[in-house]
Amino acid sequence: AASPSVASIRSKAANFDLKTYWGSLIVQINDKLDEAIPVRFPPQIYEAMRYSVLAKGAKRAPPVMCISACELFGGSRLAAFPTACALEMVHAASLIHDDLPCMDDSPSRRGHPSNHTIYGVDMAILAGDALFPLGFRHIVSHTPSDLVPEPYLLRVIAEMARSVGSTGMAAGQFLDLEGGPHAVGFIQDKKFGEMGECSAVCGGLLAGAEEDEIERLRRYGRAVGVLYALVDDIIEERFDVDGEIYGVEKAIEKAEELRAKAKEELDGFEKYGERVLPLYSFVDYAFDRSFSVDDASG
Amino acid sequence: DTAHVITQDTFDFKAYMLHKANTVNQALDAAIALRDPEKIHQAMRYSLLAGGKRVRPLLCIAACELVGGAEETAIPAACAVEMIHTMSLIHDDLPCMDNDDLRRGKPTNHKVFGEDVAVLAGDALLAFAFEHVAVATKGVAAARVVRAVGELAKSIGGEGLVAGQVVDIDSEGVSNVGLERLEFIHLHKTAALLEAAVVLGAIMGGGTEEEVEKLRKFARSIGLLFQVVDDILDVTKSSEELGKTAGKDLVADKVTYPKLLGIHESKEFADKLIEDAKEQLAGFDPLKAAPLFALTNYIAYRQN
Repeated sequence: AASPSVASIRSKAANFDLKTYWGSLIVQINDKLDEAIPVRFPPQIYEAMRYSVLAKGAKRAPPVMCISACELFGGSRLAAFPTACALEMVHAASLIHDDLPCMDDSPSRRGHPSNHTIYGVDMAILAGDALFPLGFRHIVSHTPSDLVPEPYLLRVIAEMARSVGSTGMAAGQFLDLEGGPHAVGFIQDKKFGEMGECSAVCGGLLAGAEEDEIERLRRYGRAVGVLYALVDDIIEERFDVDGEIYGVEKAIEKAEELRAKAKEELDGFEKYGERVLPLYSFVDYAFDRSFSVDDASG
Repeated sequence: DTAHVITQDTFDFKAYMLHKANTVNQALDAAIALRDPEKIHQAMRYSLLAGGKRVRPLLCIAACELVGGAEETAIPAACAVEMIHTMSLIHDDLPCMDNDDLRRGKPTNHKVFGEDVAVLAGDALLAFAFEHVAVATKGVAAARVVRAVGELAKSIGGEGLVAGQVVDIDSEGVSNVGLERLEFIHLHKTAALLEAAVVLGAIMGGGTEEEVEKLRKFARSIGLLFQVVDDILDVTKSSEELGKTAGKDLVADKVTYPKLLGIHESKEFADKLIEDAKEQLAGFDPLKAAPLFALTNYIAYRQN
């Protein structure tokens, strides 16, 4: 059974106002992203980059999780913002390339035309190629050096590069293209899991969390990311096709397991008291979708 | 100034270049293991290990040694710069870009692995370059490595390599491209990554601010020089001598230095760039600067 303090934190988490917390962070993150990509010469590449990074209705879940993880250990929000923005830049770069005609060939993304539909395939490739390094550059140039020692920053950079690289997001996209014996949803799960893991871990690294705490965040972030994608699949009824590994009941069961696992990981952060509340709250949100994030940023 | 003459006369650049290229090739081979998913890693290795003169890694190592650093200190950065260079070639060759079937005499990445894998292999090389610098650099203060990451990122994004590629694409078939625009393209498309190579080398080697800036200027000069010489060779040499189609730029209606300045003035401009580059090296120990002097001559006086 959970200790009394864990039980108390868990019950407080149930009442945490995630909608307000998330909404106010979205506004700040959007402002910072807007500033981070000014239009320079040649303008069309900056416009293409801005188009995808500043797309309306973005939930900014990775940066919010990164900031919450940093604040859990007493880190400053100011220390986390540049990395939070970088997560969105590298994520946008991946999505732009995923949508290309030679990849998923998606004419739209989140209800808007995809990047290459507007700017052309060549500019879309280059916009992605420019957003990856901009993410790293932004971390280096904007993280206050008095708040985050350089060795921590190097670990953040390595973590982010790993997560978008050949064993992370790029691997997920590759498996997606290959098809093969994976269930529908498996690939999305892998990519969301990767983003969740990277977001939580980067937040912890910025705040100087201990190794075992980083590993805990890693498991937590991956579980929440996979949970989020899995619930998307359930909501959009992607499990009614024959031959899937699991049907909808099995999917719900799996989602319950992930929710429990993510919260168990957080129980290990008992000593940080109420600072862990937002992270608990994300788990329930990923499962319940109790409000619309679009409304939260009002 | 006899010291320069002596070092330039006695320095065996060819042997130096082969030796360093060999070191770099081994480091690149070791840096990217063939792991799961295998096809992406195969695609990354295919282009990365396809040969080439390794000019960028060589610049990085030479700059590191010039400011008193050890070769191994610069190896991860040298590899990273080559990974980025390779990545930009893979994406450049794609059908939606230059649509090239051959690169260094071999089928291009997308011809072998498909366009989808070629895009991903490029993205993965780009990401890995940063991971490699951050993780594999040993014996350098973290603050310096962080600065190197920032320099590398700046040189290849919208303020660097990508900016050059975009303006180059915009300039295709445009008749009134001026000198300023041509210089913008080359400074970004070619010189920026050469600049990153030497600046990273100098940072890793513990160079002073002044040394870093001198080498930065040096790299910009040889970056432009490389392009001017390329343009001159294209009009003055036969295809046989070049080992590639001569007059390609004329046929492709590409703007070049000889077109804008004429051959004579282009050669004068090249001479000016050689002088500028060597001037930046003048304050360094001539023995240690010998490789960069030799590299400048190599770029300036090559026949293909």
